[in-house]
Amino acid sequence: MEEYLNKSIKEIINQFPEIADSLNEYNIGCVPCGVGSCLLKDIVEIHNLLPEEEQELMARIAGVIYPDREVKIPEIKRKNEARPKEISYSPPMKKLVDEHTLIKRWVAMIPEVIKNLDVESEEGRQLVIDGIEFIRSYADKYHHAKEEEVLFKCFDEGLDIIKTMCEDHETGRAHVRAMLVALDKRDKKAVSEHLQAYQELLSEHIKKEDEILYPWMDRSFTITRVGELFAKFNEKDEEFGDVPKRCEGFINKLEGKIKLTEVVK
Amino acid sequence: MTELEGCPGAKMVDLRNEGDQEETTGKVTSQLKQWPIQLHLISPTAPYYERADVLLTADCVAYAMGGFHPEQLKGKSIAIACPKLDEGQDVYSAKIKSWLEDARINTLTVLIMQVPCCMGLLNLAQEAVQSSAVKVPIKAIIVSLQGEILSEQWAM
Repeated sequence: MEEYLNKSIKEIINQFPEIADSLNEYNIGCVPCGVGSCLLKDIVEIHNLLPEEEQELMARIAGVIYPDREVKIPEIKRKNEARPKEISYSPPMKKLVDEHTLIKRWVAMIPEVIKNLDVESEEGRQLVIDGIEFIRSYADKYHHAKEEEVLFKCFDEGLDIIKTMCEDHETGRAHVRAMLVALDKRDKKAVSEHLQAYQELLSEHIKKEDEILYPWMDRSFTITRVGELFAKFNEKDEEFGDVPKRCEGFINKLEGKIKLTEVVK
Repeated sequence: MTELEGCPGAKMVDLRNEGDQEETTGKVTSQLKQWPIQLHLISPTAPYYERADVLLTADCVAYAMGGFHPEQLKGKSIAIACPKLDEGQDVYSAKIKSWLEDARINTLTVLIMQVPCCMGLLNLAQEAVQSSAVKVPIKAIIVSLQGEILSEQWAM
């Protein structure tokens, strides 16, 4: 069993597809993850399973890998004790979760934007450009900068979970670049495909951060680290001036416009 | 009925038979790195408050918690106060505000007893932080009469 603890979860799922069902039952969302390089032994700690849940899950996984014999389940060493599942964020992490709320409001409007996509008119293209501007200014520069330049630097950046999050950021940036190229070519199909891919990517990415990554990080922070992060995030806020307010204005305006379109229909 | 008989903060409780009587062996090192500590006496701009993680604790806590020094005080600068009995608490508000604005403290932990009157210290700290242009994370820890932590949460 020890050798499988040090294998990537994707490798294990590929070899034993039944294990995906067990992971899903324990709300471990590794199955659809595009990277899947986290090691099995790290997944238990990252997902904050209680010791008895860990034993049950490992026993089920061992049962799939070694169906014909009984296997001793090794105890996985943790840096931090498992704590109750109710999520309570420290103030700096709460700030990031609150920023996700505005990003989620934009992501929720993407299907409607795709439905009414018009790449031929100036007005139609401008709407997509404004959406891209929101992604670049708010989601990427303002929010992801806090993660990549401050938060992730508190951890070993070679950790698979951090690498996975950074890869998601890069994939998002690639979709944005592709949207702009497609928009320039008036390629409606490509614009809508990249918008949809961005929506799917961000929905999953935010869920992973809110429910798994941030609570895991919070469990490892000392109070000193919490204060330092809070101060550094405030410095970033000052650096960005009225960007968050302008971006919120865009979302409010777009929501109003979409609501109005629905009423007219 | 005496003046304090109806008050949970002053209600008589006999804890002599509570829990085990385990004795700690060996000397517990003091983690106090400053003087004075009473909130009326401290200067909020004393060097040990600058950029520090500050512990604002109700007077009774250190007597209730067996592990107060290693578990709570270690690594922090401190001030103590009693929200029920101390006078001149407007000075307390001003000093907490000065911790934020002048000493630029890193965090504020408010450690109080479970008795209702102790909540006044947390309210005082929260109001001071709200009225300040500078914000810091506040953690509220509530301790039982037996010295156990009943709750520990971010209050701001």
